[in-house]
Amino acid sequence: MKATIERATLLRCLSHVQSVVERRNTIPILSNVLIEASANNSVRLMATDLDLQIVESMPAVSVEGPGAITVSAHLLFDIARKLPDGSQVSLETADNRMIVKAGRSRFQLPTLPRDDFPVIVEGDLPTSFEIPARVLAELIDRTRFAISTEETRYYLNGIFFHVADEVLKAAATDGHRLARYTLTRPEGAEGMPDVIVPRKCVGELRKLLEEVLDTNVLLDLSASKVRFTLGGEHGVVLTSKLIDGTFPDYSRVIPTANDKLLKLDPRSFYEGVDRVATIATEKTRAVKMALETDRVTLSVTSPDNGTAAEELPADYTAQGFEIGFNANYLKDILSQIDGDTVELHLADAGAPTLIRKDDKSPALYVLMPMRV
Amino acid sequence: MPLPPSPTAAAAEDAPGLRKIIHVDMDAFYASVEQRDAPELRGRPVAVGGSAARGVVAAASYEARAFGVRSAMPSARAVQLCPELIFRRPRFEVYRAVSQQIRAIFLDYTPHVEPLSLDEAYLDVTRDLRGIGSATRIAELIRQRIRAETGLTASAGVSYNKFLAKLASDQNKPDGLCVIRPGEGAAFVASLPVARFHGVGPRGAEKMAGLGIATGADLRRLDLATLRQHFGAQADYLYRAARGIDLRAVMADRPRKSVGAERTFDRDLSSGSVLRETLETIIDLAWDRIARADASGRTVTLKLKFRDFSAMSRARSVAAPIATRVALAEVARGLLDQVLPLPQPVRLMGVTLSALDEPGQDADAGATAPGQAQLPF
Repeated sequence: MKATIERATLLRCLSHVQSVVERRNTIPILSNVLIEASANNSVRLMATDLDLQIVESMPAVSVEGPGAITVSAHLLFDIARKLPDGSQVSLETADNRMIVKAGRSRFQLPTLPRDDFPVIVEGDLPTSFEIPARVLAELIDRTRFAISTEETRYYLNGIFFHVADEVLKAAATDGHRLARYTLTRPEGAEGMPDVIVPRKCVGELRKLLEEVLDTNVLLDLSASKVRFTLGGEHGVVLTSKLIDGTFPDYSRVIPTANDKLLKLDPRSFYEGVDRVATIATEKTRAVKMALETDRVTLSVTSPDNGTAAEELPADYTAQGFEIGFNANYLKDILSQIDGDTVELHLADAGAPTLIRKDDKSPALYVLMPMRV
Repeated sequence: MPLPPSPTAAAAEDAPGLRKIIHVDMDAFYASVEQRDAPELRGRPVAVGGSAARGVVAAASYEARAFGVRSAMPSARAVQLCPELIFRRPRFEVYRAVSQQIRAIFLDYTPHVEPLSLDEAYLDVTRDLRGIGSATRIAELIRQRIRAETGLTASAGVSYNKFLAKLASDQNKPDGLCVIRPGEGAAFVASLPVARFHGVGPRGAEKMAGLGIATGADLRRLDLATLRQHFGAQADYLYRAARGIDLRAVMADRPRKSVGAERTFDRDLSSGSVLRETLETIIDLAWDRIARADASGRTVTLKLKFRDFSAMSRARSVAAPIATRVALAEVARGLLDQVLPLPQPVRLMGVTLSALDEPGQDADAGATAPGQAQLPF
């Protein structure tokens, strides 16, 4: 194999694929990126952790010899980063080595044969539809903070996608809070199986979306695999196994009859929570909210650090009461609200609270209180 | 080929070359303790576990094993094989005390002791506390002291990684010692029947036999892709194991994320009553480990593996940390009842406790923050 690529092109492509490669691998070839040069002056890079696979094509200046090889992804990425800006990089295989040349630099890297490189078998992916990249990015932003990191509840370690009536819904929860994002069901998504997309795939996808926000993303999926195709011909294809588990029937925990409505400015709410939580220690991170007519008082009491309180103006006409929340959970949700008002629909100090921008917002949050 | 850095790279710098690992495994531990404490049981087939028609054997003496009695076998089947079989209820407090005795012996030689259960542990003696230098000598000394101080026998395996050390300890059981020296690992594994690999049960071995794989050498001929196709998540492990490779470090006092126990059954279980009875045995085993680890946690997970190797797990978190066997059993039974009847017979059942409280360490981001309510799914 011999190919020449613009350093900037190579670097951008490598920065995408190397991020899928785990830092610590006990199977050596999983540390490698597969490089495939074809005669049509195109070079394809591929990386995998066996659950998630990324394939990206880039244009080459020239391909003198088609072929394929694998080398350490992080090593090649680090080299590409340090090569001079504007240089052309030549990749050439010789005697179980790959020679990287650019300007006055020359590297000889150990390789492993391409035939040993594991490829995720996608199988049939019968459901196909497109979503604007910007919508998919917003969907991820609004939900992924609620994804559970607890491995025992592995079925919560991702975003759950399902279709219902005329909508596509995405939900994530860690058992304490829930985030749901709803969009009009894309053409082709009808009849799609319920799927849970793993956190790592979500994270990689979100990074890639940032560069193609004005395009559409193609999703192809079955009950066990999902493939995201971004950015057309010289684009990126991300294929992931789906989490094999049953997402809980979360709709049951979304309150529908909470009759105490609190409205306030999300920004000053966020800042107030953040300020009073300064004295909250790891063990007592609860923020107490005392609700009275058109007023909320936030307070934190810490056995070690004293007390803090802040009063906020609000729209509230129901009966006064007190409720506690984890300050970080509140902040996570409030930072997703981008308008001038946030609605909190409350019932009592022990019941799920519904939080949203308004009834037209595609995003909705449910937060469980903390005893205070 | 660039191998990833070994987690014990620091230790390896001081002792260039290979690590020295010992795996110590007590012989028929629970049953041997019973025989030690009740002379009338000596020389006779003994099983520890539930003798009830629906119980399961937790451990069998060598006399019982001669009849084909194995741990995790339904008690009824064990009695069929060995009508003379004497059943004893497990006495975990006694096993725990003996376990502490042997652990104290290990710690005389190295601080790097990783207990796997009450009766087995890995020791990294690359640098031993007494300056003995020879891992084989240390293994012999440990075996002698276990015999002198507890009246029980142990087998030991010595090698340069955990996988090989564990295989070695199994090689000359009971009361045996086996050493796999540097350079011998791959050859040792090559000649080994695959059923001896940790994690390859009778079913796995059967499946491999169907593919023409009888030994480590046969396994080694398969590339990773083929292994993945047939063995899924286990493929990476098998790929390395077939080459005698194991880079894992001996982890003394590793931070636990969960603690519990599971058993693969001799025969698939399907009736609800059998499963409920078996669950009690597994709760016993799990509670034993939980108590020994002095762990408390809020999430109980029931894991089931079916005839076709597919798995299911169900978890429930409770508000107050589980502190008693009764509390653990209540949640575990509820989880089982919730999934009955099962779609197909079960080959493995396990119970674990997670979301553990870590004393002296602050809970992670609210996951276990006291007072935090759970969404009522």
